[in-house]
Formats: sequence, structure tokens, C-alpha cells
Amino acid sequence: MRSKKDDCDEGMVMKDMHSSHLGREIRVAWAIAAKDMRTYYTQPPSIMFGILFPFALFLSFSVGRNVPLATQIPILVSQTLFFASSSIGPVVIPIERADQTFDRFLTSPVSLLTILMGKTLGGIIYGTGISIIPVLVGIAFFGTQIVNIGAIIACFALSTLAFSALGIMFASIPGQTVGQVMMPLNFVRIPLLFISGVFTPIAELPPWMQVVSMLSPLTHTVELARYSLGGGTFFGPLVNMAILTFYTAIFLFLGIRFHIMNQRKE
Amino acid sequence: MKVAIKAQGLTKQYHDILAVDHIGLEVFEGEIFGLLGPNGAGKTTTIRMLTGQTKPTSGTATVASYEITHESIKAKQQMGVVPEVSNIYDEMSAWNNLIFAAQLYSVPKIEREKRAKELLELFGLYERRKDRVASFSRGMKRRLTIAAALIHKPKMLFLDEPTTGLDVQSSRMIRNLIKELNDSGATIFLTTHYIEEADQLCQRAAIINQGRIVVVDNPEKLKASMEERHIIEISFSPSRDLNDELKGLSCVNDVSRLGDKFRLYVDDASEVIPSLVDFARKNSLKIISINTLKPSLEDAFVKLTGLSPEVMTAEKEPIKKREE
Repeated sequence: MRSKKDDCDEGMVMKDMHSSHLGREIRVAWAIAAKDMRTYYTQPPSIMFGILFPFALFLSFSVGRNVPLATQIPILVSQTLFFASSSIGPVVIPIERADQTFDRFLTSPVSLLTILMGKTLGGIIYGTGISIIPVLVGIAFFGTQIVNIGAIIACFALSTLAFSALGIMFASIPGQTVGQVMMPLNFVRIPLLFISGVFTPIAELPPWMQVVSMLSPLTHTVELARYSLGGGTFFGPLVNMAILTFYTAIFLFLGIRFHIMNQRKE
Repeated sequence: MKVAIKAQGLTKQYHDILAVDHIGLEVFEGEIFGLLGPNGAGKTTTIRMLTGQTKPTSGTATVASYEITHESIKAKQQMGVVPEVSNIYDEMSAWNNLIFAAQLYSVPKIEREKRAKELLELFGLYERRKDRVASFSRGMKRRLTIAAALIHKPKMLFLDEPTTGLDVQSSRMIRNLIKELNDSGATIFLTTHYIEEADQLCQRAAIINQGRIVVVDNPEKLKASMEERHIIEISFSPSRDLNDELKGLSCVNDVSRLGDKFRLYVDDASEVIPSLVDFARKNSLKIISINTLKPSLEDAFVKLTGLSPEVMTAEKEPIKKREE
């Protein structure tokens, strides 16, 4: 007859198995992210869509306007968070499909969830790394000050996660070229710039556009970036964080579902 | 003998194409099992289902007693997979490729580096360990892919067309390697369209055609099933197309031409040889060589499938990786 000690021991063994299993999955996800960083961060599509694109867009809409560059730092930070984080998945996954290296994951004792978490982590690290640069430039040369450290951490954490997951979701499109995935993604990303308070402050938009703006995840990145660097927000930081969290959950859920559906068709 | 790999009613349908049609097979522990068939027969689809890369439409497959669909993680821990296209990262070095493969299989860190060194030395790649794989030849990439599949010391190895596209020396090296791995206890499942490869390597082979298993047996028994047929191989000078004329000789059932030689499939070689000598004299031909042969696995394959040997030797279009 089983004693309490037997149940307790079994519980500890099960806990050990679960925690060692979880630990193993985290280590593998990190290994996948590290491999992607080494292999794909400096690939031309990553640099083009993740770095050059947001900086070029920023400069094209800032140069010649009578607006102090220092006030534009939150915009640049938001744009780099948006483009850099969401570009890695759509670069890496089609390349791996074309090279047939994605199949290496499918033959390994690794769940699809772990693979996608590793890919998402790659986007998070890229987005964070690239977006820190305008913050540091702002602080060094334009007198930018971080007035709310919690808000900037939340902005970076939630935005990189949400937008990396967005990229992974689009990367489920079964294409073997970066263009086949990046084109539909840009079809979504570029219009979002115009409704998210990037070029026109939300307070100056008509009421119906303010509602539309609230639905864009980029809006809340822009607002949190502004708030953390001394500016105001239209919707409030708590609403910003809540909506970014909501979009993170949606993009992660849909991304995983779409990839599972793709696997079933293989 | 314990069953290492088992498939029952395994089927894969892609829209209106039935790629694999209810196949069943068993592979025993410690054997080299071959799946032999022409290009498009369903070999790669079968191995992809057995290794969990492709979900079967119906049927089941177990590897080391783990069902591949529902216990895929445990099943995959027991196997190493070498696909037809070397799935190593061209942008990374040989060393980093093996370390990454070890990380995917959760090989402990100390063991990882030791194992990577051992495998690179075994495969003659240690000197090139820091070089980007993009600079490797096809044979070297294939060796590295096999090394990556062995990093976690799996009990069984799946190889999909391991020597396709390789030169003779590399092919020979890979085949010797497969034999050595089997000698050290690994169960090997390989697919091939090279009949000679199946004959040389496999203890048992399944012939697959149009998604169905035609026969499963050991190559010697398949050849023995042909022993009622005699084969005469003859070459003439001058060499010209003589298929129709040779077929017209009495007791000759079939003729095929291989280069400068003709293979005559006859009921009784001793009756046909004098007719061949007469034929040569009447047509002013000189007999350069004449041999009687035992039936080969190729002959058994042709009889069982009705396919000509040329179908097997037709190379598949090489799968091209993206241009750098």
C-alpha cells in the first residue's frame, strides 16, 4: 500500500521530470536563438528590413520638417522596435525552408513550440539590440532622459515580444523566399505606421481614427516610448501595456496554430 | 529478434496523389534494412513518416516501441536522421554545426565537445573543423550530416539516399561507414535507388514501387528466386544494335543491352550458346567475350516490378539549395 512518503517522493520525481523537461526545452530554445543570431543577423535581408528600413523611413519623414530631432527619438525607437523585431522570423524561416535546414528541427526531439519560442527569442534580442541604439544616441547627443524606467522596460519587453510573434505568425506562410513572406508582412506593417501616432499625434486625429489607432499595437509602443522618455500618452500607460499584452497573446497563439496547420499539410 | 522499427498500414495522400499506399514493414534490431525503388516510388515519403517529419494520412509507425505521432519526442531521441539533402548550415563551421546538433539532442556540454572531436576525426573532417561548410565538397557535407546524426549516439540511423550524387570514392566511404556502424550495433534503415547498394549493404530489403511494397526479403533469397532463369552475357565486334536479331533466336526469352554487351535471358544456356556461335559466324561478327551469369538483384527487381533497369539509374533532378 502506498504511503504518504511514496506519494511525496513521486510528486518530487514528477516535479523534477517536469522542471528538467522545461529546463531542457528552454536550453534548446536558447540554442536555436543563438544559432539564428550567429547565422542570420548579418544577412542582407535582416539588415535591410530590420535596420535600414526603419531608419530610412524615419529620416524621410523627419528631414526637412521643423521639428526638433530630440522629440523624434521615441518615434525612431518605436519604429526600430517594430521593424527589427518582426523581421527576423520572416528572414530566418523561409531561408531554412529553402535550404531544408528547418527539417533538422523536425527530426530532433524538440517540440514545435520550443522551435518557435527559439525563433521568437531571436527576434526579441535583435529588436532590443537595434532599438537600444537610438535611446543611447538620444541620451548622448540630444539630451533625452529616461524618466520612467519601468515604462521603457515594459515598452521594450512587450513590443519586442509582440512584434517578434507577429513576424513568426507571418513566417508560417509556406514560402521559400524571404520576399514571399516579407511582402504580405510589409502590406500590414507600412499602413500601421500611418494610424499609430508616428507621423501625426493621436490627439490631432479625428475621433474615428483615434478608435482605429487604439487597435494598432504600434500605437501603444509609440505611446509607451514617449511616456518613458518624458512625453505624454493619449490612452494611458496601463491601457498601452494591456493592449500590447493582448496582441502578444494573439500573435503567439495564431503563429503557433498556423505553423501546426502547415506541419499537418507536409 | 526484437523489432526496432514497425510500420502498419502507413499511408500518405497529398490531395489526389497517393504517395504511400498502406505499407507495412518490420526492421529488426541490429540489421541494415533497405527500401529500394525508383525515383518517385514513395521512399522519401515513407522515411519522412517513420522519422516524424511528415504526418501519415493513416496507419501507424513505431520506432524503438514509441509511436512516432503520439510519442514523437521519445522516438526521436532514439534515432539519427540523414536526409537526402544535407541539412547542415552552410554559414556555420563544421564544429559549430555539430555543437548545435548536440544542443538539439540535449547532449551535456562536456560530452558535446568530446563527441564532436571524435566524430570529426572519424569522418576525416577535423582539420577543416573551423571552416565554413559552404566551402565543403558534397561528399564532405554528407559526411558531416552523418556525423551530426550520430552526435547523440542513437540506437538507429535513418539514411535517405545516402550516396546519391556522390563520386565513387565518397560513395564507397559512406557504404563502409554504414557497415562499420552496423557492426558496432546500430540498426540502419536506408532508402536507395541503387540496386547494387541494396545488394552490398542490406541484410533485408523491401522493394517499393508506386507507393506499395512489392516484396520484402533478403537480397540472396530474391536472387535465388530467379535461378530458373539463365543469363548469358556476350559482346561482339563490331558492336552494333542486335537486340531484335538476338531475340529471334530460339530459347531466348529476353535481351537487354548494357554498353557493348548483350544480356540474354534464356531457359538453358547450354542450348543457346551453340546458336550464338552460329549467329556470329552468319553475321560476320567476332565474339569478344561470353559469360554465363547468376541472376542479380537487378534481375529480380526487374521481374518483380516490371521496370527496366534504366528507370532505376535515371537520376532524380538534384534538389537545389538557394543560390548564395
